[in-house]
Amino acid sequence: MVQEILGFLQAMLDQTGVSHFWWGNIVMIAIGVTMILLAIIKKYEPLLLIGIGFACVISNVPGSDLILPGGLFNYAYHGIELLIVPPLIFFGVGAMTDFGPMIAHPKLVILGAMAHLGIFVALIGAKALGFSINESGAIGIIGGADGPMAVFVCVKLAPHLLPQVAVAAYSYMALMPLIQPPVIKALTTRKERLIRMKQMRPVSRLEKIAFPVVLGIIVNLFFPPVAPLITMLMLGNLFKECLVTDRLYKTAANDLMNVIIIILTVGIGSTMNASTFLTFKTIEIVVLGLIAFLGGTASGVIGAKFMNLFLKEGEKINPCLGSAGIASVPIAARVAHIVAAKEDRENLLIYHAMGPNLAGVFGTAISGGIMLALLGVK
Amino acid sequence: MIVPDSLYGAVVLSCVDFFLSIVMITGIGFVLAAFPLLNKLGKLDDETIKNSSH
Repeated sequence: MVQEILGFLQAMLDQTGVSHFWWGNIVMIAIGVTMILLAIIKKYEPLLLIGIGFACVISNVPGSDLILPGGLFNYAYHGIELLIVPPLIFFGVGAMTDFGPMIAHPKLVILGAMAHLGIFVALIGAKALGFSINESGAIGIIGGADGPMAVFVCVKLAPHLLPQVAVAAYSYMALMPLIQPPVIKALTTRKERLIRMKQMRPVSRLEKIAFPVVLGIIVNLFFPPVAPLITMLMLGNLFKECLVTDRLYKTAANDLMNVIIIILTVGIGSTMNASTFLTFKTIEIVVLGLIAFLGGTASGVIGAKFMNLFLKEGEKINPCLGSAGIASVPIAARVAHIVAAKEDRENLLIYHAMGPNLAGVFGTAISGGIMLALLGVK
Repeated sequence: MIVPDSLYGAVVLSCVDFFLSIVMITGIGFVLAAFPLLNKLGKLDDETIKNSSH
């Protein structure tokens, strides 16, 4: 009788997650809790880190149905894996974005490409560490600091690395206020950080309406592999700028965006299971991602300084804007503004910084599109 | 696959990709530099659009 009762209790215990708990789950739960605390206390990208952190905690509680096939978090991950979520994210971003700074100052657009050298430093580094060239491309694209683009390219090149790449990309985006400033300060002088930019020309409504149509045609013509993302970005922007689709643009920019962010963050967090995550490969990817970010920030700043060699006094670019060429909109622009504002509180760089920041989105798309074409992936 | 799966291939891919990215983004910059010419086609301001919608 006692044996039977003990047998039943054992069977019940086996049904729970308690018997499958291991120290790796505790480590990942601690990481998830840290993300949540960083979001709440330090206000580091709460819209991203709360969802990712919570799903990370739950995915490391063995037996959680939410992350198993048929579970809600699992479906959220499928939305990312099937490339449904990334284009919708860009749709919402387009509806929230004013591309005026990019249109007004075309010279700064080139910083959106120069700040992506980090992608290739990480790509070469990953290949040197033994990753395949497709895996190296998927890791390198983290340096573009564009979450949906990183997910998109990773699914096409190395879908098995999606959890690590997605988490690295979004985590580093959230930590940019910590990562970028030391690099910017190390590569610039105080005099350079004090450079004030000239007032930008006003951009007309006609130009803002033409922009998404023209860029949509260019990207679909020259970069078909990444066209879905940029096309949705441009569609959202057209809804915003045409002024006759207020209901649609407000839905895209607010309610739809909120729903997609929830799906994206829980989908990404649900992949942070200890058994797939606590591997040496993950550490390599995380380190390479950091190298990509640091390299991109540095190359953007150096690119701006190089451009200044050819510009007259009074037309020079504040090199902090180079770091904004990384595609994390608007975080990188905000960081560039803050670093310059610490030297001169009246130096309002944020509007100027949005130009290269937005160009960085196209820069990452172009880099990713060329990479997919050269690797023969459609 | 056009690029070989080797360190040499990674370096070639990186150089070509980075160079072409700069060329393409510069091209986009030139297209944007021509945008002020659109204003010569006519004026389309916010009031015109809002007053003409149903």
